[in-house]
Amino acid sequence: MEVLREKVEEEEEAEREEAAERAEWARTEKMMRPVEVRKEETTLTQEMLRDLEKKLSEIRIPVSVEVPAFTKDTIDISMLPVSYKTNTPKEEQLLQLADNFSRQYSHLCPDRVPLFLHPLNECEVPKFVSTTLRPTLMPYPELYNWDSCAQFVSDFLTMVPLPDPLKPPLHLYSSSTVLKYQKGNCFDFSTLLCSMLIGSGYDAYCVNGYGSQDLCHMDLTREVCPLTVKPKETIKREEKVLPKKYTIRPPRDLCSRFEQEQEMKRQQEIRAREEKRLKEEEERLMEAEKANPDALHGLRVHSWVLVLSGKREVPENFFIDPFTARSYSTQDEHFLGIESLWNHKNYWINMQDCWNCCKDLIFDLGDPVRWEYMLLGTDKPELFLTEDDSGINNEDDVENLDKEDEDKSFDMPHSWVEQIEISPEAFETRCPNGKKVIQYKRAKLEKWAPYLNHNGLVSRLTTYEDLECTNILEIKEWYRNREDMLELRHINKTTALKTDYFKPGHPRALRVHSYKSMQPEMDRVIEFYETARVDGLIKREETPRTMTEYYRGRSDFLSYRHVDFGPRVKKLTLSSAESNPRPVVKITERFFRNPAKPAEEDVAERVFLVAEERIQLRYHCREDHITASKREFLRRSEVDSEGNKIIVTPDMCITFEVEPMEHTKKLLYQYETLMHLKKEEKLSRRQVWESELEVLEILKLLKEEEEVHTLTISIYDTKRNEKSKEYREAMERMMHEEHLRQVETQLDYLAPFLVQLPPGEKLTRWQAVRLKDECLSDFKQRLINKANLIQARFEKETQELQKKQQWYQENQVTLTPEDEDLYLSYCSQAMFRIRILEQRLNRHKELAPLKYLALEEKLHKDPRLGELLKMFT
Amino acid sequence: MNRLYTSLEPRVIDDGMLKLAVGEQRPQEEAGKLAKQEGILFKDVLSLQLDFRNILRIDNLWQFENLKKLQLNNNIIEKIEGLENLTHLVWLDLSFNNIETIEGLDTLVNLEDLSLFNNCISNIDSLDALIKLQVLSLGNNQIDNMMNIIYLRRFRCLRTLSLSGNPISEVEDYKMFICAYLPDLVYLDFRRIDDHTKEVAEAKHHYSIEELKHRENLMQAQMEEEQARREELEKHKTAFVEHLNGSFLFDSMYAEDSEGNKLSSLPGVSELLESLTYRDKFVIICVNIFEYGLKHQEKRKTELDTFSECVHEAIQENQEQGKRKIAKFEEKHLMSLSAIREEVEMPNIEKMILECSTDISELFDALMTLEMQLVEQLEETINMFERNIVHLVGLFIKNVQSLYPFCDDLLCTMAQCRDLENHHHEKLLEISISTLEKAVKGNLDKDLSEDVRGLFVDKNTIVNAVGASHDIHLLKIDNREDELVTRINSWCTRLVDKIRRDEIMRNRKRVKEISLYIDHMKSELDNLEYSDILD
Repeated sequence: MEVLREKVEEEEEAEREEAAERAEWARTEKMMRPVEVRKEETTLTQEMLRDLEKKLSEIRIPVSVEVPAFTKDTIDISMLPVSYKTNTPKEEQLLQLADNFSRQYSHLCPDRVPLFLHPLNECEVPKFVSTTLRPTLMPYPELYNWDSCAQFVSDFLTMVPLPDPLKPPLHLYSSSTVLKYQKGNCFDFSTLLCSMLIGSGYDAYCVNGYGSQDLCHMDLTREVCPLTVKPKETIKREEKVLPKKYTIRPPRDLCSRFEQEQEMKRQQEIRAREEKRLKEEEERLMEAEKANPDALHGLRVHSWVLVLSGKREVPENFFIDPFTARSYSTQDEHFLGIESLWNHKNYWINMQDCWNCCKDLIFDLGDPVRWEYMLLGTDKPELFLTEDDSGINNEDDVENLDKEDEDKSFDMPHSWVEQIEISPEAFETRCPNGKKVIQYKRAKLEKWAPYLNHNGLVSRLTTYEDLECTNILEIKEWYRNREDMLELRHINKTTALKTDYFKPGHPRALRVHSYKSMQPEMDRVIEFYETARVDGLIKREETPRTMTEYYRGRSDFLSYRHVDFGPRVKKLTLSSAESNPRPVVKITERFFRNPAKPAEEDVAERVFLVAEERIQLRYHCREDHITASKREFLRRSEVDSEGNKIIVTPDMCITFEVEPMEHTKKLLYQYETLMHLKKEEKLSRRQVWESELEVLEILKLLKEEEEVHTLTISIYDTKRNEKSKEYREAMERMMHEEHLRQVETQLDYLAPFLVQLPPGEKLTRWQAVRLKDECLSDFKQRLINKANLIQARFEKETQELQKKQQWYQENQVTLTPEDEDLYLSYCSQAMFRIRILEQRLNRHKELAPLKYLALEEKLHKDPRLGELLKMFT
Repeated sequence: MNRLYTSLEPRVIDDGMLKLAVGEQRPQEEAGKLAKQEGILFKDVLSLQLDFRNILRIDNLWQFENLKKLQLNNNIIEKIEGLENLTHLVWLDLSFNNIETIEGLDTLVNLEDLSLFNNCISNIDSLDALIKLQVLSLGNNQIDNMMNIIYLRRFRCLRTLSLSGNPISEVEDYKMFICAYLPDLVYLDFRRIDDHTKEVAEAKHHYSIEELKHRENLMQAQMEEEQARREELEKHKTAFVEHLNGSFLFDSMYAEDSEGNKLSSLPGVSELLESLTYRDKFVIICVNIFEYGLKHQEKRKTELDTFSECVHEAIQENQEQGKRKIAKFEEKHLMSLSAIREEVEMPNIEKMILECSTDISELFDALMTLEMQLVEQLEETINMFERNIVHLVGLFIKNVQSLYPFCDDLLCTMAQCRDLENHHHEKLLEISISTLEKAVKGNLDKDLSEDVRGLFVDKNTIVNAVGASHDIHLLKIDNREDELVTRINSWCTRLVDKIRRDEIMRNRKRVKEISLYIDHMKSELDNLEYSDILD
């Protein structure tokens, strides 16, 4: 390919010398020959050249004549700048060059499709593809990284399929137009994405190639939704603890090893069978899922973005599909081949064979054997790249763009496309109309712009059981900006279980709420942010008959409370759930170890068997013991119907003590403990009741929130925050008024008279007096003029009215009712005008002397005149 | 003498009085009835009131081990005594008595509130042990020296103090002085000290307090230093090489050696002593032994640590297993017990009870098997540890004694010490004999003292003298060596004995615990049986 490069150089030379034809013949001649032949250059005959010319003229550059995706008449080209409508000389030159290049290429590789070099833009002007790229760094920090950029492009634009799936499009519109209409084909997508990526410093390229059917149609139905993929659990590698010197030996194993082995074998067999079955099942499923083979496989044209490693700490080359914003490795089987690729500086043709998709391609653009470049000057010297060079490039590539271009022999002309701009509104709304639906394999993802849905819903993922997407398996809904801090709602359709996840900040410190129905006393689990609660509650689980609470960090070391309820006792009077709580059958409470107490006095578990009137205590186990003390109180005998004295008997308490102690055997001790426990029981029952009430309250609150769902608006959100908007407008109005007032006060009566005097000199007294008189007389004149004006109008109006009246009286008989009406309405209007003028005149007469006096007063007070006038008076 | 001996006879606390007091002060109503029914043990009493009883002498209080509050006010007690056993005491009231000196409170470390109001005390002292003291009432006494306030500075928790009615409270500066010297005090003479007073007082006594503080700090530093030194020595002692990191041994060799000292004045001998050849070498050997000892101590310590850690782990593991077994059993047992209670058919009940008892015995077997297994395993481990530790100790002794020098160029054995001494002895003998020859010839140095001259009478005398010196030196070395060896050996035996004893204790305790538990279970079952039969 060395040859070709030299040829290109020569060709450029020739272009400049305007000796196109001859040189071309010579060049094409050369081109046909291999390297050895080149030395015999001089021996070429004229005939041979003629022959060649003939041959060449036969070669036709095929031009596709397809209608573009969104037709020209939908685009308003009148507003577009000049660069869109014409080509600069340099661009013209480039186009000629490109044509030349294209012809050479089609001659050399006649079996390959023509190059995609200079499609027409929206104004039907051919533009070279590289100049259509407009590297831009977006002002949004979110768009700095490639993944968010790609996501934005894929969300923002609507996909339009290529007019002919087997050929590149005839038109390639500017990114600004594409952004305006939010529509485009794969080439538009990749051009926009590539512009943004190069702008933010990536080494990115637009690729013209061949993709699979799914890729070209933006069909994700065979892809697993990334949101449903569970993150792989990192397998913890068990650290093998070195047996210490004195680790005790395990007891001798007395089992038969042979039997064990037999058992193991049997187990393995079973497992193998199971695995085989599973595999078969899987294969069957895979078979079912597999798509029909595509007749046009490998022929469908697609365009995507290639990001090369090196810049922005990209570790290895990868592709980005601009439709779906997914990144693929360069070995991915969706990408079936590459024709050419380009960035804003140059254009490369792939000279490698794509029989094995893109798997064997090497993206070393500096290698002229694999990649044929178009412009010499902006060659990418990847082969000779040294470490520090790349370092410098990484840092300020964007700034250096222009500078670099300057030193090159022939540089790519500057992009004709206008600066890419995305308004903040458009950026926030993202998808066209703020809505987007993506269909995945067994899943559907819907996205909305924030604040679009009045309940704050921003995305919904529906997972299906089958490929046809008929049986819903589960739904996940993400919310944003909710006042109640709801973040995610997960609905499992098979079990009808709903799980709500809340962000910190719910008034009841809710974290997770999973339930089947909003009715009280049903199955539900509520988890809390325990640091936000005074009672340290972490979790409350409810079933129709039980309630379990988990605590942490309490001063009484309570960790767990479980309540069993009995069936509600039917009362005769009608009463609501609050006034008729379910009877408590059993309360179990567990406690953490209280380090301040000895273990045998520290209760670990306390069971109030309310129905049986028994209390069971289990104490904590001492560190060097395996049994724990227990105590059971039977209260059968001691409940007196009249609530009188309680008789304590020794058989009321069954005690087991690990280390029997003297004082605990005493009845007195038992009695005191019992009394204490009774108090505690009452307290616990009260707490249970309070918990029940709280659940009711939470449910009520949630229901209210669900019905109202208000959204919070950040105080920095100037667009949506009504309050701040009002405030701001009020402020603006005030500012405006203030401004007006200032202008008024600054009006200088003396200015027109002062101008007549020589500037910079102090006024003499005489001058001051004259100035004052002039000013006053002028003002008087104005007042008189005004009065005259009003008077004149008044008179004119009266005259006209009189004329009309005369006319009416003369023609009264012959008038049609319409004319009469007209006349009457005129009369009333004229009368009104006259009256107004009269009023104004009167008012003027009243006010004029006052105004005159006021001015005089003002002039007296004027600092410029005041002093002098005072002396005068 | 606030209270005169009244018509009532002075009394001594006796059993009868105590019983009466305890009986009067027991809980009321139902609980009281119960208490009366079964009687109250003195050691269960937490609070005791013995006021207005004309008590002269405190006695018979030793049984009240758990007493927290004791009131002995309004008596005629003259001496604080008999309170040594009441270590749990928090509140002690001795007001309105005739006490003259504070004493007998050294064991009451938990005391927080002490009232000695209206006594005849003239000096505050003997309160050092009461580190938790918060309230001290010393009003109406004879305290007249301001220095007593400085004594109170050591009570960091002291918040309330009353000293009114003492001679010092008449002093003009009384309040300011106390506020300044006891800055943490909150109440003085039942009044709160306001911040303003504190500030003024501090400003007033600023300099003297600073000085006092400085002195206190110095004392503190000194004590800390002392403590550190003691700890260091303790550490060396555990390594059995104390006082070997210097010339102590060498010095002690010459300390009781009169002949040696005399001989050292001979010309040439002092050079011999001072030169690097003897003294320095000797010290180097000692230091080497010292370091070697520390190193070995470290080794023994890690050995012991590993061992105890492993044993602890094993026991923990075993306990966990036991707990799991019991928990499993209890779950099942509870179920079957309630089933028995529900059951009405007699034969069924019997069958179930039988099942239960087999379950219990099964549990017993399982627990005991676990325990026996652990005992076997531990036995093995302990034996291994014993072997290792004995080996380590043996190695250390051997190396120190250098029966088998493990390393030739390192000077760290007692034997080398001895060699050095022998070598020195020979040289000394040589010099002595040559001096003797000189003496015989009559040209002895003039400046030798009479004592030394006396030695050079004949050959026997001088040889004996040198020999005696040598013997003393060797004896010292031998003694040190013997001490080291005996101590380390006894340490080793004690350690192993203790480990074995602990293990036996542990085993017994566990067995006892298991059998107690099983017994309880069985008796519970039996009770159930009886009650069922009765029903």
